[in-house]
Amino acid sequence: MILTGPAIAAALARGDILIEPFNAGDLNPNSYNYHLFPELYKVAVPGEQRAASRIAIPGTGLLLEPDCLYLGCTDETFHSAKYAMTLVGRSSAGRLGVFVNISADLGHMGSRNRWTLEIKVVQPVIVYPHQCIGQVAFWETIGIPNPYTGRYQHDDRPHTSKDDGLLSSPHETDA
Amino acid sequence: MILTGRAIQDAVDQGEIMISPFESACLGPNSYDFHLGTRCRTYDSLLLDSGRPNPSTVQEVPPEGLVLDPRRIYLWDTWEVIGSNRYVPIIRARSSTARLGLFVHVTADMIDLGSINRLTLQLHAVVPVRVYPHMRVGQVTFWVCSGEIVPYNGKYRDTESPAGSLSYRDFGVSE
Repeated sequence: MILTGPAIAAALARGDILIEPFNAGDLNPNSYNYHLFPELYKVAVPGEQRAASRIAIPGTGLLLEPDCLYLGCTDETFHSAKYAMTLVGRSSAGRLGVFVNISADLGHMGSRNRWTLEIKVVQPVIVYPHQCIGQVAFWETIGIPNPYTGRYQHDDRPHTSKDDGLLSSPHETDA
Repeated sequence: MILTGRAIQDAVDQGEIMISPFESACLGPNSYDFHLGTRCRTYDSLLLDSGRPNPSTVQEVPPEGLVLDPRRIYLWDTWEVIGSNRYVPIIRARSSTARLGLFVHVTADMIDLGSINRLTLQLHAVVPVRVYPHMRVGQVTFWVCSGEIVPYNGKYRDTESPAGSLSYRDFGVSE
């Protein structure tokens, strides 16, 4: 089941969800709005993510180009040991052709970080620091939790891919 | 929990889900297939600004359809009015649509509880593709929620679909 806005607020009050900073005005009927952290990576050349440099988004805005991939992150830190999370864009961003993730919308129980956004635009778009750009939803789960201890734990800035296991066979990755 | 096709039918009959016009033949095992409407909105300028109004134009698409350019975002209404005060709608493409490289939304798949309208789809083609009015393009699923329901009262509430992005309103800018 997906939590309604009042259920998200109640879970926050109980300590079952952490959203920092939290603003009640950002609660929606079934999600919470997040904002764009004022710094991102521009990944200009495929395969050279590790060489990508950080760019600060100035108050006057930053022009995102369609041929590039950008890695940004949320202003907010999200955490829940009880609920799974999914991340979507706001329709206001989608209507401008701004993707906020590349088919990686699931947030694991137990992760605690600023959520990295894989930003891709269809047309050139100017974005601004701290603009409201997407929403996180919270889902009830079934089963005994097996909390996240992955490599992106405690991320507090946008992070490029850390997946050295991409080329390993499945049993090696699982070891 | 996700509703089965039969449960969607029952909820429509009981007035808990709005799908209009509704045809039983469009029910899937756990979703309902929706169609493109006839109206398509494109931005007048290639460069978009999330902090300012972006002038746009609506066209009535003829039966012979429209070829979508991968470098443009197309806002297109659905033929059906869709929404619910009880279940959370989440939309996605039909696999037949996706196999043509056509996105039906740009990471904005979740509809707020209480938002009942023709949807504004964000069509993005990976390669040029011709699409037609009334094409059976996507599917809507319905999810059970947990918590008190406070229906949507946001900025697209009284807009006519397909509506352009109102992102600029978050910056205190009025048109």
